Amino acid sequence: MNHQTHAFHMVNPSPWPLTGALSALLITSGLTMWFHFNSMTLMLLGLLACIMTMYQWWRDIVREGTYQGHHTPTVQKGLRYGMVLFIISEVFFFAGFFWAFYHSSLAPTPELGGYWPPAGINPLNPTEVPLLNTAILLASGVSITWAHHSLMEGHRKHVIQSLLTTIILGIYFTLLQASEYFEAPFTISDGIYGSTFFVATGFHGLHVIIGSTFLTVCLIRQLLFHFTSKHHFGFEAAAWYWHFVDVVWLFLYVSIYWWGS
Amino acid sequence: MVAAAIPASRVSRLLGRSGPQVGRLMSSGAHGEESSARLWKALTFFVALPGVGVSMLNVFLKSRHGEEERPEFIAYPHLRIRTKPFPWGDGNHTLFHNPHVNPLPTGYEDE
Repeated sequence: MNHQTHAFHMVNPSPWPLTGALSALLITSGLTMWFHFNSMTLMLLGLLACIMTMYQWWRDIVREGTYQGHHTPTVQKGLRYGMVLFIISEVFFFAGFFWAFYHSSLAPTPELGGYWPPAGINPLNPTEVPLLNTAILLASGVSITWAHHSLMEGHRKHVIQSLLTTIILGIYFTLLQASEYFEAPFTISDGIYGSTFFVATGFHGLHVIIGSTFLTVCLIRQLLFHFTSKHHFGFEAAAWYWHFVDVVWLFLYVSIYWWGS
Repeated sequence: MVAAAIPASRVSRLLGRSGPQVGRLMSSGAHGEESSARLWKALTFFVALPGVGVSMLNVFLKSRHGEEERPEFIAYPHLRIRTKPFPWGDGNHTLFHNPHVNPLPTGYEDE
């Protein structure tokens, strides 16, 4: 009998948590094999398993929420809690790197020359490409808000236009950052300056790529008529994540690029 | 069970629409916010994207100002650290290595 008397979603048994955990094991042990034994096989297998897990797990969720109708308002509330808690955990992740940066830059050691930026480091000019990158991400925050309102008001064409604008801005940011990485006169091996700069901005860039991918999935789903004007939590989750990425950049820009120069 | 799935608008249509919903022909999610999408679209095209354009112009103008001489190489011990070789290439080049601006621990490669 297919009659449940509660609003929750009792998910069917799924192999993806297991394959996800296995992929985590393969990636971590694969990194060890790569760093210490000059072999990339295990790591590549792990990355492949991870990507396939993500694709299939999220595909199942989309199916459950659209065609199968399992995402009641109660279920959606749970998903909202989940996304919020995840983003909070990411905030703490970045907090660590900011801690490291301020720890080293507020009290520069004698080995660095006793000042920040350290001796021999020529930081990037914050009023050039980093400023452009700030404008790009701020603009993408505006365009994604346009997308959300268009979605709530049922303007299908505008949703597609504004989502596309946001994604293009995200890609533009990524390309500019990559170019900055190649042009920078300092590298990750340049002491604590290089470490804090490239680890913090590097993880941020990774999150921009993740966010852009999430937005692209939303665009595809919009084209496939998955969203309604009242029920589009996938889009909202992507928008929250994108705003988070933008805010992290603002902190990076002010702390590392501007104050840190 | 089936009757519960019929939206209120259908019901009021069946009743001749003499109820409070006459004249308000839009989904309740857009209540009072009809123009907000237009506002954000205007902000996107008149504020946000021109801001990006101005910043692009700024970068372009500054880049024309002149290619600076790269700084002379000083073998500081706190820079170009090689505690362990990188797991790629010859182990001595960073991932985004640029021979023109990134010296190796022994100096610029193209000198």
